[in-house]
Amino acid sequence: MARTIKKITLLGANGTMGYGSGALFARADCEVTFLARTKEKAQAGLESAQAQVRSVAVGNKVTLGSYDDDLESAVKDADLIFEAVAEDMAIKDEIFTKVDKYRKPDSIVATVSSGLSISKLAEKHSDSFKKNFLGLHYFNPPNVIVGTELIPSEYTDPELVDFLDEWCTRNQNRVMVKTANSPGFAGNRVGFKVLNEAVQLAEKFNPVYVDYLVGPYTGRAMPPLATIDLVGFDVHQAIVDNVVANVQTGSDEAIESFRMPAYMRQLIEKGALGRKTGGGFFKRIDRVPFYLDIGSGEYRPVSEVKLPQLIFREKIRQLHRIGRYCEAMQTFAAAEGEEALIAQKVIGGYIAYSFNRAGDITETITGIDMIMGMGFNWAPPSVLVDLIGLENTCRMLDRCGIEIPLLLQNAEPDKPFFNEPINIGKFFVAR
Amino acid sequence: MNQVKTYILGGYQTDFVRNWSKENKHLMAMYQEAVDGMMKEVKIDPEEIDVAHVGNFAAELYCNQGHLGAFFTHINPAFRGLPTSRHEAACASGSIAILAASAEIEAGRYDVACVLGVEQMKTVGPKEGGDYLGTAAWYELEAEGVEFPFPKLFGKLGDEYDKRYGLKYEHLAEISNINYGNARLNPNAQTRTWFMNKQHACMQDDNNAAVGGIVRISDCSQVTDGAAVLLLASEKYATEWAKRNNKQLSDIPYIKGWGHHTSPLLLTDKFEESKNHEFILPHVRSTVTDAFKRAGMADAGSIDGIETHDCFTTSEYMAIDHFGLTKPGESWKAIEEGVIALDGKCPINASGGLIGAGHPVGATGTRQVLDCFRQVTGTAGDYQIQGARNMATLNIGGSGTTSVTFVVGVD
Repeated sequence: MARTIKKITLLGANGTMGYGSGALFARADCEVTFLARTKEKAQAGLESAQAQVRSVAVGNKVTLGSYDDDLESAVKDADLIFEAVAEDMAIKDEIFTKVDKYRKPDSIVATVSSGLSISKLAEKHSDSFKKNFLGLHYFNPPNVIVGTELIPSEYTDPELVDFLDEWCTRNQNRVMVKTANSPGFAGNRVGFKVLNEAVQLAEKFNPVYVDYLVGPYTGRAMPPLATIDLVGFDVHQAIVDNVVANVQTGSDEAIESFRMPAYMRQLIEKGALGRKTGGGFFKRIDRVPFYLDIGSGEYRPVSEVKLPQLIFREKIRQLHRIGRYCEAMQTFAAAEGEEALIAQKVIGGYIAYSFNRAGDITETITGIDMIMGMGFNWAPPSVLVDLIGLENTCRMLDRCGIEIPLLLQNAEPDKPFFNEPINIGKFFVAR
Repeated sequence: MNQVKTYILGGYQTDFVRNWSKENKHLMAMYQEAVDGMMKEVKIDPEEIDVAHVGNFAAELYCNQGHLGAFFTHINPAFRGLPTSRHEAACASGSIAILAASAEIEAGRYDVACVLGVEQMKTVGPKEGGDYLGTAAWYELEAEGVEFPFPKLFGKLGDEYDKRYGLKYEHLAEISNINYGNARLNPNAQTRTWFMNKQHACMQDDNNAAVGGIVRISDCSQVTDGAAVLLLASEKYATEWAKRNNKQLSDIPYIKGWGHHTSPLLLTDKFEESKNHEFILPHVRSTVTDAFKRAGMADAGSIDGIETHDCFTTSEYMAIDHFGLTKPGESWKAIEEGVIALDGKCPINASGGLIGAGHPVGATGTRQVLDCFRQVTGTAGDYQIQGARNMATLNIGGSGTTSVTFVVGVD
């Protein structure tokens, strides 16, 4: 069957992922119908899309509508129905039931869900729906972050997966990664393990210290807790709780890393969700940076925190600054002292966890590499191993008390893991 | 005809999306990544490089750093003692560096030359950056106290076309649309994920404001951080290298011809000089015809594609007739007839050009020649011009002041 995508119906057009994805579809020269609860909300979504890509013209092939008035007609002749409503199984089920009723038999139905089970989302619906349904997970903001996950369920037509892989790569400049339908898929599974470890460490130390130790110099654009502030505490909670609840018992050696500390749960209950509610681990008051003192729940000036002068950290930063990433990361792996060990455990944990999941959440380690690199803007685990060196990596893992993944145990020395033609230098920020 | 040939063995370009200030990087990181990347791609040891040339416009302003040739010695211990120099001719700096390196090879001084074009521009905000770029004009007379002087100068080039021959904005919009479209196919292009279409380019609103007369935001090239490096070699070395890599010497591209002229700095002087001339920038025309003559070509008919200096859509509009793709003043015909489209008779800026791929000023000349190398070796990937054997560049400094053309091809 020769598939084409010319007409798209977007559900949840006023949400961040809704309008962001909508702009991507409009860019690919498709006719897109933006649907929301009301036409006004759909209009607001279009305006957000126009602001995001800085062009009113992105709306030239967009029509607007509401679920009540326009869902049937919009879904009826759509080639792709893209769902970006609230991350809630019941809400999604309800709208998929309607979609299933009106859609033409071969139309594609995709969800932007960042972690709900694609199989569970599919199972209540028709066979045709199941066959043509899959996860298409863009990262926010999709006009900037190109890493995208494609998640088939056990019902999905394999040809559809290949078709969308090619279509998104060609028409939307995406870097596509096929993942298993497992909790958090690939990017969020690996990424939020690291992020939640930072949340756990922040309770023991403090947020400023944690972001200093596991900061950009370790191979990321943004420090971990600042990232959570941006993502939102509620989203963080949904992702880690989903992993804890749905990962098969005994199948995850690092499940404890996903348990969200009570302090964060309390913050969420009080309505503190990060940047979107005016403050998370960090906030600015009159342009002065403050951090959350977790013990007292008060915000205190960042300037009050006395950070240790770490020679290894400064040396690595200087090496990154002049482009000597290999020496920099070797310095990281060899650094001694309790602070170095904290950072090495997080980064070593990231490497080991990724290599342990290769073949499970993605076909090979390259899938995890690409989603961490192009979805999270973190140095891919393979890049880290290549720069540090296989032997040095194993030595570092040993010192951290982390079991060496089989893939690393059985690897050929001097054979690089990462061979993608992208600038790896961009991951190593000299801060 | 060139008797002694300068071969191009390969090169490397950094991803022009990157913001090296956000990464908190020194210019040195760009040297390191670009030259390491090139040595890996070309499969050459550092000891084999005899000389290095750097093209850069204004690191003194953007990065508070001069003496740019000397940074080569920090890339690799083998480069200690290497003869190095830096070349500056505004946006044509990269091409001037190539000219200097190829002249040395042709004179028999050296066999292997590394030419690095490099610029870090995002160290400052747009207004300050615009002012620095103003030093590529006659600053005191054309740029001092002027906000964004260059869009205004190239807006005037559009006005001059309009006055002499007539100019429709939709043709400029199509140039922008083609460049952005091509950039989507180039994995190192700065704008590859940006939203752009003809309708957007034709709009004039807050998102696409006029910044210099006829010139709107969509008509402008980008502020870009980046480097592009080439490895040039004598016939003697190229023969040896070809053997080592199981290639035929005849498959290795070389510089078939070059042209290089300088006009007076002031745009008004340029227009005054050309008022009775069919070409608006006659010295640019001479640059092109010199290059063709040296390549043994009668005209652009032997060229399979062009990488031109579209610092603004008006400069690409100018390039179309100055290359002789149309009669003077009839550039619009090549646009309407699809001649310059990627699948056209003579595609212009398959890479996306300065508008789509980006414009790290000192690296543009080397980036253009690198893209020509990729085209004639069939390694341009998704933006490949089918069957390209001969390509030409046009690299311009200032308002059409310094101009350089290379014809790059295989026999």
